[in-house]
Amino acid sequence: MCFKNLPVEFDANGRASLRGGIPDPYAVAAGPANVPMQLSEAQVEELVRRNGHIKSVDFDPVTRVAGALAFHAVADFKEKRIVQARSVATLFRGYEVIMIGRDPRDAIYITSRACGVCGGVHSTCSALAIEMAIDCVPPPLGVLVRNLALALEFLYDNPLHLHLLAGPDYSAAIVEPTNRALFARAKTASAPGRDVHGYATIAALMEDLNPLTGHLYVEALHMTRLAREAYVLICGKYPHPQTIVPGGMSSTIHLTVMNEMFVRLAQFFDYGKKMAAIWDDLTAFFYEADPKYKEVGARRANMIDTGIFDLPDAYDASYKNAGAWGDRRWMTPGAIVDGTLVTTDLHRINMGLEEFVEHSYYEEWAGSGQRQRFPADPSGNPLSPYHPWNKITKPRPGGQNWKEKYTWDTAPRWDRLGMEAGCYARLWNTAVAQKQPPNPFIESTGHSLKLRIPKGALPEMDLEWQVPPVWNAFERNRARAYCVGWTAMIALNNWTAAMERLKDGDTKTSTPFEIPKQGERLGVGFWGAGRGYLTHHLLLDRGAVANYQIVTPSSWNASPTDRWSQPGPYEEAVVNTPLLEETDDPGEFRGIDVLRAIRSFDPCMPCTTHIHSDAGVVTREVNTCACGLDG
Amino acid sequence: MGTLVGAIGYRQLRDHSAPFAMLDRLEAENLGADTAVEDVSYNPVALMQWLHGDAKGQFERAIFIAAVERAGRPPGRVDAYRWDGILPPPELIQQAVADAVTGIISLDNTLVVAGYFKALPRQVAVVEIEPLEHAFGTDLSPEVTAAVETAVDLVRLLATNPVAFDALPRAGIPEAAFYRAHAH
Repeated sequence: MCFKNLPVEFDANGRASLRGGIPDPYAVAAGPANVPMQLSEAQVEELVRRNGHIKSVDFDPVTRVAGALAFHAVADFKEKRIVQARSVATLFRGYEVIMIGRDPRDAIYITSRACGVCGGVHSTCSALAIEMAIDCVPPPLGVLVRNLALALEFLYDNPLHLHLLAGPDYSAAIVEPTNRALFARAKTASAPGRDVHGYATIAALMEDLNPLTGHLYVEALHMTRLAREAYVLICGKYPHPQTIVPGGMSSTIHLTVMNEMFVRLAQFFDYGKKMAAIWDDLTAFFYEADPKYKEVGARRANMIDTGIFDLPDAYDASYKNAGAWGDRRWMTPGAIVDGTLVTTDLHRINMGLEEFVEHSYYEEWAGSGQRQRFPADPSGNPLSPYHPWNKITKPRPGGQNWKEKYTWDTAPRWDRLGMEAGCYARLWNTAVAQKQPPNPFIESTGHSLKLRIPKGALPEMDLEWQVPPVWNAFERNRARAYCVGWTAMIALNNWTAAMERLKDGDTKTSTPFEIPKQGERLGVGFWGAGRGYLTHHLLLDRGAVANYQIVTPSSWNASPTDRWSQPGPYEEAVVNTPLLEETDDPGEFRGIDVLRAIRSFDPCMPCTTHIHSDAGVVTREVNTCACGLDG
Repeated sequence: MGTLVGAIGYRQLRDHSAPFAMLDRLEAENLGADTAVEDVSYNPVALMQWLHGDAKGQFERAIFIAAVERAGRPPGRVDAYRWDGILPPPELIQQAVADAVTGIISLDNTLVVAGYFKALPRQVAVVEIEPLEHAFGTDLSPEVTAAVETAVDLVRLLATNPVAFDALPRAGIPEAAFYRAHAH
């Protein structure tokens, strides 16, 4: 059974329907079973009142993340645990409001601005939603080139996060002052991956993770350049591409472009090997030094992803066949609950999606007798009134109150569960589902994903990412590191297929289209960012956008506690994090373990929330108090 | 070696687009064969890499033009200075890099990131306009429209007259503004 909490059942042919005999099937009283719960505000206040060692700590802003994220926690310095956590998106995104009434093609350029890293994924997701709404199928080369463009964007994103944003948390500059004994141990700990990454000891590796001066930090800046250069060959510019259109790509692709792209792509082959070795060694070192590090950022392995990178002979842009073409993607869609893959079907992933706003600065749109706009999707599957196609964005700014509203992020839930998003979700899906298209470089085994990465300066190497027995900050980073090589191999497969097309004289990259001016049409872009899950839900009415809803990876990860007191993923991960930092003085507390937990998700707050207020457009982050304790 | 005139700002963002109004004017003029007029409002890391790469050794001077909100300045005021090159503490430089790679476009970030990585020409001047309006749109406020005229004249002078360039007062990034944007 795919759903345990939603009132949906399936017949012998897999057709979904609402369970009979339930008068209000999506009643919010029906909360999820067996989930962690936040302590209530009254419980926390009582704990703080009775215990001098329990104190509030605020991380505002959380630095080395994209955009404006604040975090409130209540820490028990005696037990060295966090007892409550609240994730706060401090700015309003507003794209859902901006898009209303516009020509849908505007979405490609406007929603791209949701992010300064992954504009292309938003553009692409828009293009897919439009394609579905207007029945426009891209030609094979258009699909391949789109895959290549987005793979290159991921090759910008993942190294950037690992060595510029999260990497410094594991650097000598951070580890030495916060865990002296650990750093002393690192000096004598040999690094098993030395032959690949070149570091004899873990301490040497940590030194090169130092921000600004470390070789790995500076190298990551260089690698982002290579990825950008390759990307702009097909997308015109970065981060807001100019060549993504419904029905494919408007780029002119020829052998010179492909060769120039390959020269840059090929440099990620060795880099992928090196990244995997570095994060394998770091993870093993921390686990061995103190098994409690397995609890840093730990939470249930509940994950969601829509998959990404279509096969040209499978993708037909239709909702009806989304289950079929989704299953044939290079990166497999899926929902994982408590470590078990429960579906790879895009219809079921879409069906289980809801957004709640009890603790968010929005008004309710469902309930109160309001008619549910779409009780079912275009294939007849039941939809919740809280589904994005039924959602109406009603911003309601207000004061921050932990009991009531405290964030601009909504609380997306799947089957009413707090799911996390990340490139690792699709890595896990793909490894387990064994639906990977046949190819020479990637194999899914049911419990792992094997990569055969060609020779560069390093020899050809076989890597294997194993589904981990625990899920935590280290495993997120390790999986993200493997995603570098994996993405490069998917790009290589698509590059090879595109070259075959070109050799055969096929240069067509897009299908002409017109926006129909009659009737209502639904579309959804199922795509993904370097950070994971992305959907754009679109309703067209007589050729104009009547509703537009974006759910990003950080919408899931940074989501607040929901109406059933179930924490969002950051919140849950932080509450489970032990404080392993060496300090007995709360005044000296830097919160490095909490920050490792949060940053391991690769937070991207511009995607989650954005930059428009009644007073104008905010072009930089803001912060809301002066009490940060960042490392 | 020549002079780089670089505009840093946001398009279609009312007064924050003033550098592009200047850019259009300056591009249409002939400031001399050694002067390049460029939109450099892309990722400061990418600018740093361009200055270290394809443009290496090409520029002796840079003049950055931007619309920047600074405390206590009236809208439309034009300030010009030679940047003193003094950088903030390392943790703020680190945050500036993080901001840069995640899409923040700003004059201060550009100076800090490109300055830290020693990519900037030997002499750097800045011409700033204090903006008033920061909503979506293409129109400049009357104050900034008037300031564009003044600022274009000033940039033209600085680009073509080294004595005028050298005569600018030296100043740093206003510390309070940079800290407000980056620190807690």
